[in-house]
Amino acid sequence: MTNFINGLLRLRRGPWEMVASILIALGVFMLMQPFALSLFTYSFLVTLVGTVMFIVVSHFPE
Amino acid sequence: MVTSTLERAAEATPPGAARRIKGLSDRAIAWIFVAPSIFLLLAVNIFPLIWTINLSFTNFKANRNREVEYIGLRNYERILTDADTWATMQATAHFLFWTIAVQVLIGFTLAYLINKKFKGNDMWTTIIVLPMMLSPAVVGNFWTFLYQPQIGLFNYVVAFFTGADASSFSMIGEVALAPWAIVIVDTWMWTPFVMLICLAGLRSIPESIYEAAECDRASKWRQFWTITIPMVLPFLMLAVLFRGIENFKMFDLVVQLTGGGPGNTTTLTSIDLKREAFEKWRTGYASAYAVILFVTVFGLASIYVKALNKVKER
Amino acid sequence: MTYSVTEPSDRQKWIAGFLVIGYALITLMPLLWIIATGFKSPADAIAYPPKVLFEPTLEGYVNLFTTRTRVTEETLASLGEPTTWYDRIVRQYDMIIAGPSRYGERFLNSVIIGFGSTFLSVFLGTIAAYAFSRFRVPLKDDLLFFILSTRMMPPIAVAIPIFLMFRQLGLNDTHAGMILLYTAVNLSLSVWLIHGFIEEIPIEYEEAALIDGYTRFQAFYKVVLPQAATGIASTAIFCLIFAWNEYAFAVLLTSGTAQTAPPFIPTIIGVGGQDWPAVAAGATIFLVPVMVFTILLRKHLLRGITFGAVRK
Repeated sequence: MTNFINGLLRLRRGPWEMVASILIALGVFMLMQPFALSLFTYSFLVTLVGTVMFIVVSHFPE
Repeated sequence: MVTSTLERAAEATPPGAARRIKGLSDRAIAWIFVAPSIFLLLAVNIFPLIWTINLSFTNFKANRNREVEYIGLRNYERILTDADTWATMQATAHFLFWTIAVQVLIGFTLAYLINKKFKGNDMWTTIIVLPMMLSPAVVGNFWTFLYQPQIGLFNYVVAFFTGADASSFSMIGEVALAPWAIVIVDTWMWTPFVMLICLAGLRSIPESIYEAAECDRASKWRQFWTITIPMVLPFLMLAVLFRGIENFKMFDLVVQLTGGGPGNTTTLTSIDLKREAFEKWRTGYASAYAVILFVTVFGLASIYVKALNKVKER
Repeated sequence: MTYSVTEPSDRQKWIAGFLVIGYALITLMPLLWIIATGFKSPADAIAYPPKVLFEPTLEGYVNLFTTRTRVTEETLASLGEPTTWYDRIVRQYDMIIAGPSRYGERFLNSVIIGFGSTFLSVFLGTIAAYAFSRFRVPLKDDLLFFILSTRMMPPIAVAIPIFLMFRQLGLNDTHAGMILLYTAVNLSLSVWLIHGFIEEIPIEYEEAALIDGYTRFQAFYKVVLPQAATGIASTAIFCLIFAWNEYAFAVLLTSGTAQTAPPFIPTIIGVGGQDWPAVAAGATIFLVPVMVFTILLRKHLLRGITFGAVRK
């Protein structure tokens, strides 16, 4: 866990990609979940942020 | 013998110099070789993509010749607050969840069994794989015949084993059954895909690990959970992501099978999008819809490529 | 032979074999049913219970390839005896053959568009993959990812702007348009797969060739191409199968002249609903080549479906 936070702080690719992946997964879940319409409404925003983040952080050093 | 000469020759000249002996420079060749592909993809993918994004902010209708107005984020707002679209997404989710769950279960089991290396396993693997490569539309169309209440083979087989009357149910005509009808056909078609990838995962596990576990007197059950499953997991992940992306955009098979019906029970996102874009001709609205799907698939694809690279390292 | 702890026992092999073969037979049933239905008469095809044993007839195939019209008894009598076997089949139903059906054309379209786009995408893919593998291409990883992602996009979403673009350019419902589109879609697969195959060829071979006085181009087609030939061939088959099977673009962007077989087969209508033997006959002719190719490809199958990531 400390490694993970260190990686985030030092702008390393691995942990940031993990964060972006989780955001994308969350967005996809929100898009298709049957529980609340408001989650569906904001799903696209979450996925978009995750995807853009993924593109950016995949250029961070290993 | 030959290789050693070649190797020596290769070592004798620094690579950079060797490359520049004759003809065009490498940089020029690289450009000439890559440019046509990039150009084609720009023309057929990127340019249309930008066009779609642009259209998604308008009220354009492709079947009418009226003034195009920019309406900002209205299309997105409408889609993302629409309960029908939400229902479509849930139908897609049902399809996604069950196809992946069933395919992983059957696919992994089959791979595990095939990996027992019984006689003729290669031949039977090839036979199992056949449905995967066929045209989904043609196959989907034919399954409507197998699903016919009175005359269909599927209903007959179900009737034979359960004793129910073959004409008493219609897989693609009933609201309760249609979502399962598409899951069954997709599973029939794509289980081999998961199976093949799992098989590759199982075969990538070095025997020495099991031998070491055997020395430590670990039970078979324990070996399965602590060696087999973790080692196959990255491959399984790959299969799940790929099937997820493919089924998220599923169109041909389902449109031929049920056409989205009965009602809207099997209206998956792509079918809904097709209606908006090519039947109601709400091009601007459909473009915004398309952008939402693009971003979702693009996001999933980046996770997929990450999983790919992980497997590649093995 | 040395004893191995990981070798399954005979009993395990028997059980595994039994289960797998059982699954394979179940999975094969719909396919066999398609092929069998193609040789049934319309009455046998919709019989209850479904007929496993039946008298084979080529009616389905005749109906697939012809259009027929019903004629009166007198006209039929005035025509005299049927001269060919297919005439005889049609006459049983008081009909005569009016002309060929569209299936032949549609099938030919599938062949033209399939082979055209396969050739183009493999050609472009090979040279691009070679460049990606052997030269320093700026932003290589991003380009490769971008190329891959184009294939993952939902076809219906892509079809919206393509439809508008083709309409502007007059490419809707033309062979050229479809070939171009399928080439672009297949390009990702061919670049990724062939890239993997070329990476496996040791770079030393080319360097030696370069020292021997070959130019880059010569080294490419005299050293690299022959080495990658099987890989390129299997890539070509994958591209061909994709273009062959594709439905979404075909149904949206073609209607008459350039329509391929997949959107056409479901529209084969007989008297009172779909003419199942004819549909099955069309499907059989369409699917069997793919089955043959799949069997030929079995060694490279895994590679093809995972974009070259999983090699064995």
